[in-house]
Amino acid sequence: MTIIWILLAFLVGAYLIAVLESWAVHGRLQPARPAFSALALLGRESLLARTPDRLFFEAGPVLLLVAGLLAVAVIPLAPGLIVTDLATGALFLNAALAYVLVALIMAGWGPNGAYGMIGGWRFLGQFVAYAMLIVMPITAVAMRAESLSTVDIVTSQAALWNIAYQPVGFALFVVAAMGLAWLPPLDLPTAPGDLASGIEAEYTGVRLAVLRLARMTVILALAGATVTFYLGGWLGPWLPAPVWSGLKILLVAGLMVSAGRLVPRVREARYLALSWKLGIPLALTNIFLVGVIALVVPI
Amino acid sequence: MTGMTAQMIFLAFFGAAAVWFGIVVFRTKSMVRSALALLFSQTAVGLMFLVMQAEFLGVLQIMMMATEMSVMAIFMVMFMMDPGGMGAMDMTHQKRLSLWAGGIGLVAALLVIWLAAWGPAVQEIPGAAQQAADLGRELLGRSMFVFQSAGLTILTAMVAATMVAIAPRKERKE
Amino acid sequence: MILELMIALTAGAAMFGTGLYGALSQTNLVMIIMGVELVLAAALVNLVAFWRYLHPEEPAAQMFVLIIMAVMAVEMTVGFGIAIARFRSRGSVEMEEARELKG
Repeated sequence: MTIIWILLAFLVGAYLIAVLESWAVHGRLQPARPAFSALALLGRESLLARTPDRLFFEAGPVLLLVAGLLAVAVIPLAPGLIVTDLATGALFLNAALAYVLVALIMAGWGPNGAYGMIGGWRFLGQFVAYAMLIVMPITAVAMRAESLSTVDIVTSQAALWNIAYQPVGFALFVVAAMGLAWLPPLDLPTAPGDLASGIEAEYTGVRLAVLRLARMTVILALAGATVTFYLGGWLGPWLPAPVWSGLKILLVAGLMVSAGRLVPRVREARYLALSWKLGIPLALTNIFLVGVIALVVPI
Repeated sequence: MTGMTAQMIFLAFFGAAAVWFGIVVFRTKSMVRSALALLFSQTAVGLMFLVMQAEFLGVLQIMMMATEMSVMAIFMVMFMMDPGGMGAMDMTHQKRLSLWAGGIGLVAALLVIWLAAWGPAVQEIPGAAQQAADLGRELLGRSMFVFQSAGLTILTAMVAATMVAIAPRKERKE
Repeated sequence: MILELMIALTAGAAMFGTGLYGALSQTNLVMIIMGVELVLAAALVNLVAFWRYLHPEEPAAQMFVLIIMAVMAVEMTVGFGIAIARFRSRGSVEMEEARELKG
């Protein structure tokens, strides 16, 4: 029963994020737009490229959806409202999101088209940039909670949210998460206007609908992870716990979807250089500082 | 030990999947497919770990191999003339010898496995959180030296591989 | 007889055989690395099976698994370093053409 509620909640969330994204792109708030475009996609013919790698072509979007849903499974919305409270939840989230990369490579390679393939391999390069910056901030968070379980991580923030405890980690994690969900300015694999929407270029109809839904799930999973790790999850005064999680997740997801559009797209080499020369030293400093604080001041 | 347990069925299933994907690696002509088949073989190994209740190791294996094998796939595409396998070129040699070696290895291992007396199975194992904590104490306690050496080895390998791989200076100037 | 252990070890043995065949029969360096990875994965399965069914109280067995994972990463790094160097100088990573690496 819990699973169904969580899935429904995330489905509604995905819809709202889609509305927000179309608002950020087109500048008009149209609440019915995602429903119409989904209907249009379902009604449209699903074309197949010439000599595709059929297996990868079909499996790519589905694997992306599965990866997003698995990541959602360890995000707690309220005490007890979680699909599985794994003892290694934070690591599991990482493992599930690693398959976003595999899915995109499959979706890029599958249709046997130049734009798609470049998009897929670009995401691999992007992965090399963001991967460490997802794992290292999570390490610092787990150090404070003394546990990898996401529920324990939320309860460890009762006195002080992690965004105040380790602001550097928060900033690094959000930027890396935007790279993982290929949101602008880090939207190299799709890159509208440069790659002709890259991995989405050869997908039409139902398959494109699945791909877009899967991407919304990944964005939501990452927003949920940010809220769980840094914004105190369900913790908050007055309102009931699930409402707090929902509000926070929507706020973070909305910011992630819209804020980056004000910045020009970051080139791949520049992103790599920034991540490795600036991001990783900062992340290591963050781990060190959190370790010292955790040892000296018991908060 | 009587009857089939759920653990046995899942172990056999994921084990068969791991072996099957491992065979696919060398049977498909498409290089990207063989890299991803290896990835799914390793993922099946990670799932076997999960079935054997080694939660931390299983999740770690599933996470690490996704990235390692994707990198493998791009190296395949970089180094091959025909990464999609359209030309169906043959890339094997000494097939008979290899088959014999693989077969003898398999049979020898199977003989040892099925003839040895393993003694009784231990049924009680620590919980997942306890395992992770124990592993951490082991790594930072008794096995710290080994762990640090592994880290240093990786660092050395990274530096050495980078040095081997970057172009010589005179070549870069041209 | 511990049937679960047998099943896991048999899967490991089959992976070992496949990996050995691959490492010996392929001419491409990257494919050889894949074969070796498969052999190491077989070792991982065996280690975890031994830990689970024979010595679950011993965290050193899990530590050993971590070390093997590190070995896998090192092997890939060095292998690809050599592959890049060869590709730069010879334009291919086919091992049939690499006679001069013989000692």
